[in-house]
Amino acid sequence: MKILIELTVNEELCRLEVEPQQTLLEVLREALHLTGTKEGCGLGDCGTCMVLIDGKPVNACLMLALDAQRHQITTIEGLDNRGGLHPLQQSFIDAGAVQCGFCTPGMILSAKALLDINPRAGKEEIKKTLSGVLCRCGSYPKVIEAVLAAGEKMKGGH
Amino acid sequence: MKRLTPFSYFEPATLAEAVEILSGSKEKAYLLAGGTDLLIRMKRGEIAPPALVNLKRISGLSSIEREGQSGIRIGALTTIAEIEHSSALRASHTLMAEAATALGSPSIRNLATLGGNIGRASPASDMAPSLIVLKARLNISGPRGNKQVGLESFFTGPGTTILQPGELITSVFLPDPAARSGAAYLKLGRGGGMDCALGCVAIFLTLGNTDTEVKEVLVAVGACSAIPMRANKTEALILSGSLTDGHIQEAAMAVAAETSPITDLRASESYRRQMVQVLFSRALKLSWSRARSSKDTH
Ligand SMILES: Cc1cc2nc3c(=O)[nH]c(=O)nc-3n(C[C@H](O)[C@H](O)[C@H](O)COP(=O)(O)OP(=O)(O)OC[C@H]3O[C@@H](n4cnc5c(N)ncnc54)[C@H](O)[C@@H]3O)c2cc1C
Ligand code: FES
Ligand code: FES
Repeated sequence: MKILIELTVNEELCRLEVEPQQTLLEVLREALHLTGTKEGCGLGDCGTCMVLIDGKPVNACLMLALDAQRHQITTIEGLDNRGGLHPLQQSFIDAGAVQCGFCTPGMILSAKALLDINPRAGKEEIKKTLSGVLCRCGSYPKVIEAVLAAGEKMKGGH
Repeated sequence: MKRLTPFSYFEPATLAEAVEILSGSKEKAYLLAGGTDLLIRMKRGEIAPPALVNLKRISGLSSIEREGQSGIRIGALTTIAEIEHSSALRASHTLMAEAATALGSPSIRNLATLGGNIGRASPASDMAPSLIVLKARLNISGPRGNKQVGLESFFTGPGTTILQPGELITSVFLPDPAARSGAAYLKLGRGGGMDCALGCVAIFLTLGNTDTEVKEVLVAVGACSAIPMRANKTEALILSGSLTDGHIQEAAMAVAAETSPITDLRASESYRRQMVQVLFSRALKLSWSRARSSKDTH
């Protein structure tokens, strides 16, 4: 049973046909070719599939694509629509917070959701916010450093 | 990519329509709320629902509203994150926010709903113990109309409830707590949450005329029996004396004896029993101090 749906991904409206059982993760990666969103576990544990739904982090592997209609979906590809790097992306590069990079989209999007509300967030709050994203390279200390630095930049109003 | 196997899909616009689909369909239909439990069990191949009934198009199921002077009503589709951040709940039922913060990760809490947490009937649910001590009542709709059931009599076993075919939870009612009361929820899990509780304890306590006299106390323990359980014997023991360190210690022994934890790959039976004692003592002291510093409501 194909259903015609409309998704607003990175501020662009996409019309496509999906099966009810297709997850948002499947549709983003396979139909829209936005492969920045990763599948690690597929079961809600790792956070590599993180996207923002109306600005809030959500595991795309646990959401049916058709439930993402009528919402604003942001993937890592849509982080800065002005073509440049988002302060978080630049800070991750500067701090060397990326090793293999598999967890990076989930880390950056989760951090963005926090800093958009509170750029002054401290270390403890950042740790809690990122608790749903696992990094098997163990880059956590540098990730936190990068998020703190991005918060400094974003305080100025990005 | 982990995929879901196909199912018939229903998206009712009203509660009446949902009940009709649930009770009318020949195949067993499962309710889909946040999906953080259901979709995982489907992906793991533990269940293969022939039909899913998505509740999210039904309006009016996701609000937190005061019901006059008597209490607060939380819609079944309210997310755990909404409970965590609700200023109305923080004002009258802080315990709900405390329990919500202990569940999963921020992104799971953005999806997971209260109705789904109760409907799943997990013995390790983070919400159930607090709901039990807050005397939660569930509003249930079904083919024979609406009814209200106390949460304590809702669970019948791990994953099973008193819900009949066609019935669903529409909201949860929490009566306002009495004056001079305090509550606490403590959970033992790996790495500050993100994990199923190895043991968890919720306590609600109302003080009498003095700061050591207990007028009412409710204790609920999770992950240590087939269903989230009310520790009646322990409550009776607490009420039998005034609050002192010795009395709290005695009560902690009672709660450990009253639970029936199992050994599994997460933890052994004896470890769980010991941890429940520790969680219980801490939660009792915390709810006691909160009751002492509370004014009208806790
Ligand atoms: C990574 C991860 C971590 C987790 N950590 C925790 C944790 O720490 N603590 C915890 O308690 N849980 C945890 N969970 C389990 C789960 O997220 C919660 O139990 C959640 O509240 C389930 O709600 P849901 O809306 O997602 O339910 P769904 O998956 O949509 O549904 C769950 C079950 O309830 C039924 N149901 C749904 N709505 C209703 C209703 N209105 N009436 C009757 N039945 C209904 C469904 O049919 C289904 O059987 C975790 C899950 C994941 C993936
Ligand atoms: S792929 Fe979604 S949480 Fe791991
Ligand atoms: S950088 Fe490799 S998983 Fe985080």
